[in-house]
Amino acid sequence: MKRILIVEDSPTMRALLNSALEGLEVPVKITEASSGFEALRCLPRELFDLIVTDINMPDINGLELVSFAKSNDAYRSIPLVIVSTEGSERDREKGLELGADAYLVKPFEPEHLREVVVDLLARGAQSE
Amino acid sequence: MATRDSRSRSGRKADQEFVSEAEEILERMREDYADLDDQRAAGGDVDPDLINRMFRSAHSLKALAGMFGLESIQDLAHHLEDILDGLRLGRVPMDSPCVGLIDEAIHTFANLLESVGNEEALAAFNEPVEDLASRIAASAKAAAESGDELQSLDIDEALLRALTEYEEHRLRENIRRGRHIMLVGSTFEIMSFDEGLSELSDAIRAIGEVLSTLPAPGETPESQIRFSLLVASDLDLMELTAALDFPDADVQSVREGAATADVAPAPSKVEPAPQTPASSEQESLRSISETVRVDIRKLDELMNLVGELVIQRASIGEIAARLISQHESAQVGVELSKIHKSLDRKLKGIQSAVLEVRMVPMRQVFDKVSRVVRALRRDLQKDVRLEVSGADTELDKLIVEELVDPLMHIVRNAIDHGIEAVDERVAAGKDAQGCIEINAFQRGNHVVIAVRDDGKGIDRSALFAKAESLGLVSADTELSDREILNLVFSPGLSTQSEVSETSGRGVGMDVVRENVMALGGAVEVESISGRGTTISMTLPITLAIIQSLIVVVGEHRFAIPINSVHETLLIDTSEIQRSEGREILNLRGDALLLRSLSDEFELGVLRDSEKQFAVIVGVGEQRIGLLVDRLDGQQDTVIKPIQGPVKNVRGFAGATELGDQDAVLVVDISSLVDDTLSRKESA
Repeated sequence: MKRILIVEDSPTMRALLNSALEGLEVPVKITEASSGFEALRCLPRELFDLIVTDINMPDINGLELVSFAKSNDAYRSIPLVIVSTEGSERDREKGLELGADAYLVKPFEPEHLREVVVDLLARGAQSE
Repeated sequence: MATRDSRSRSGRKADQEFVSEAEEILERMREDYADLDDQRAAGGDVDPDLINRMFRSAHSLKALAGMFGLESIQDLAHHLEDILDGLRLGRVPMDSPCVGLIDEAIHTFANLLESVGNEEALAAFNEPVEDLASRIAASAKAAAESGDELQSLDIDEALLRALTEYEEHRLRENIRRGRHIMLVGSTFEIMSFDEGLSELSDAIRAIGEVLSTLPAPGETPESQIRFSLLVASDLDLMELTAALDFPDADVQSVREGAATADVAPAPSKVEPAPQTPASSEQESLRSISETVRVDIRKLDELMNLVGELVIQRASIGEIAARLISQHESAQVGVELSKIHKSLDRKLKGIQSAVLEVRMVPMRQVFDKVSRVVRALRRDLQKDVRLEVSGADTELDKLIVEELVDPLMHIVRNAIDHGIEAVDERVAAGKDAQGCIEINAFQRGNHVVIAVRDDGKGIDRSALFAKAESLGLVSADTELSDREILNLVFSPGLSTQSEVSETSGRGVGMDVVRENVMALGGAVEVESISGRGTTISMTLPITLAIIQSLIVVVGEHRFAIPINSVHETLLIDTSEIQRSEGREILNLRGDALLLRSLSDEFELGVLRDSEKQFAVIVGVGEQRIGLLVDRLDGQQDTVIKPIQGPVKNVRGFAGATELGDQDAVLVVDISSLVDDTLSRKESA
């Protein structure tokens, strides 16, 4: 069972991410956070195998969440995927610099997301 | 010999097409640069839209030159785009000397364009162009480096890196305004940080701006979390600390503000440049639209090919995923998946370049309209002026072509039936001269084109009487005001009892609506008696590759064009209310009509789960909810016409192939919304 945390403020995008990830061949348990703050609260409660986050959110932005997770020993090894609206090349660079493992542009293709996720989960499993 | 001759002729023709369009872009850049220069000279802030427009011009020029293989122009445009991008995002200051190079580049483009088609003359420019390009590159780089105040801040690198581009921009802006920049830190219990943090943020917002909120692990990372708030304020360190009164918060200075913080120059209001009246005397514009006519078929071909590639790319992705899922082939799968990803990026590049070339400003159509208005003014002896705005709004060429007739028809109608004769206007206390306004603007993935006249408005009772005489309604039919107005779209209806020469016989608003709906758009009418009528057409920006939401009903999959989707909701079937055989959902206080796709297409799928997805779709102002079992993500789709027995079934816009080679039907939202709402009206 893989535990995935989705951080996204738009309910529609959350539903789309959820339904895309439910299509993974491995069994998954998905936790949804509707804001960066909520994600910060979710993190200590469960051992996540993967985090998928948006960038533009009302409280803290996705880059700040990445920075937090990657500067914290407990969460550093969790693979992190940013899914954000097309636009800033710089935001993308920054996300990757901060340690995000992948960056997808919205609108994303579910199978593309799944590929990336499968890839990252496999890498995580190898390093364990 | 004959072949060589014809080849060079077709080469010349392509060059001419390029030159005419490039000259148009260049002309726009010249005007924009002149405005930019004026605004800089006036010492005020430069209108950001202006810079953005110039950036887009340079970008279009680059894409266009790339399509025609004109490397020197492409290269120069690329460097110009860099400068403008820097200016646009505030990375290059407006007073940088590189701004002057924009003017030089525009001159050089003009010289280059004159030499297109003449290899030798073009080659002679190689050196000066390279020289200019490298000067632009160097100067943009220097400006960006010297202009980057952020590097000099006494601040943790991690915090800077976590700023989004917009937040960075806000930080620069606050530095420019001479505010003090400070870092306020505080540690909270991880399970209950919300309240304390929002108290702190609110207190800061009362005296400054919170630029960013960066979380970091606390001293005991399992139970604590520390937040660093980047703050800009007119108060300095001491003043802010005193004003905050938060004993647990520590404040440190990141950058001292200017002593004269409050006399930072206020941005002077920049008067928007007056809209240049569309001039029909520019015959060159007409010739451009004619070359475009030829062009579009080639672009369609190209677009179709790109479409096929996009679909094949998706199959590669799926094969890669299958390989990865099997242990023995996982490695090959991962490699294939990498190739797929890189293919994906490149395809996206081609796709957007082709799409961009397809986009044309509405100006070309508006010019035609203004010619028609002039002719009508003469023929009908009505005093009318035309006011146009949003001529720069861009639409797919194909849609623009299809739009000419409906738009002309609406404008003719407005002059012929809407605007009153001069004596009638004067008697009603109106300006003797009638006015027709055409306004185009973008709204999300759609462009709205509204035609407003200040004429007599639609006479509801005459309209109703006419509809009754045609047997469309009976005398006791109760209709809302909107429903009565919508009668103008009924076939064979014209309120003027004798059909005039101008508006023609046979072509009515019903045909306008049909044409617009065929493009996936909608038409709406508003009218105030004695004051005028507004007819708005809402159209998708492009018909080429579109994103679709894939939905599942039972065993069947359907594609819904994403630009018609407003939101999706997971609803409990118990939330659905039934009334007079219709299903209604209360959506934030509004009653939303629901249609089940299973019922709509008679699939006979029973709702076996208590949860259903409602896909809220709509065109223009109208909304309905489509009930489906599941959502299956978004995909790029190329809509193709349906062949065979289902060809004429209402409710489908076409078929599309998905990545797994499965063909699915594309739901025609315009007609579905229309049917559902008219069913409501007749119910």
